Amino acid sequence: MSPSLSSLVFYAFSAMLVVTAVGVVTLRNVFYSAVSLVAALTIVAGLFVLLGADFLGAAQVLVYVGGILIIMLFVIMLSQQPRDLLQRQTNDQWIAGLFFALTIGVSLVRAFTYFVSQTPPDGDIAPTSASLGRLLLGEMLLPFEAVSLILLAALVGAVVFGQEKNA
Amino acid sequence: MTLYHCIALSGIVFSIGIYGVLTRRNILGILMSIELMFNAANIALVAFNHYLHPGSLWGQGFVLFVIAVAAAEAVVGLSLVLAIYRNIKSVYTENMNLLHG
Repeated sequence: MSPSLSSLVFYAFSAMLVVTAVGVVTLRNVFYSAVSLVAALTIVAGLFVLLGADFLGAAQVLVYVGGILIIMLFVIMLSQQPRDLLQRQTNDQWIAGLFFALTIGVSLVRAFTYFVSQTPPDGDIAPTSASLGRLLLGEMLLPFEAVSLILLAALVGAVVFGQEKNA
Repeated sequence: MTLYHCIALSGIVFSIGIYGVLTRRNILGILMSIELMFNAANIALVAFNHYLHPGSLWGQGFVLFVIAVAAAEAVVGLSLVLAIYRNIKSVYTENMNLLHG
């Protein structure tokens, strides 16, 4: 892809990501904000592909959009009541929260001006799946196995918390 | 499209997530804002990997671990939300004020 075209795609993705992210935190209906989060995470997958991480883009769609967000939509549908749509969804501290978030956002954006002139590396983007697999089962083997332990613990924890109490 | 644009986008999305965590009353909204912050960090990791170390993949491997831990966190968190909802019939954080309900 030519540099100008990829820049155009990047800015379009960025604008959509910011709009959908604002939707996630401000929409009154939680179901709508979950759908907005689906859009935001799909756009993040597109950004991954744009930045040369093709396997991560696929994993993002599979795990986040196909897995986590579907569970989240189920929980929202199980726990919402009709009167929730009439209640306000923000607490009394939204001005302080806005100030805090603006402070952190502006300082983050200002802090990285050091990288302003860093342009993309030369050369074509190559598929990463094979070398990523070699990295995971080679140098990253220990954290890889630790993550499998974490997933097992999460599975058991979900079953324990999810079962009805026979008290 | 330079590295600065990617990192600035990541910072903006992260601060939007912080705003959601601080102001949402609904615990599900807070969980979704946390997912947003995870993704902002992932964008930063992939961008640094792409621009500063094009030959290596450690940033992308790290993002894979972040996604796996986020999946585990979401599953446990959502089952906790359902367990709390069975007890107090509410998903609003100001009603969750008992350690043993």
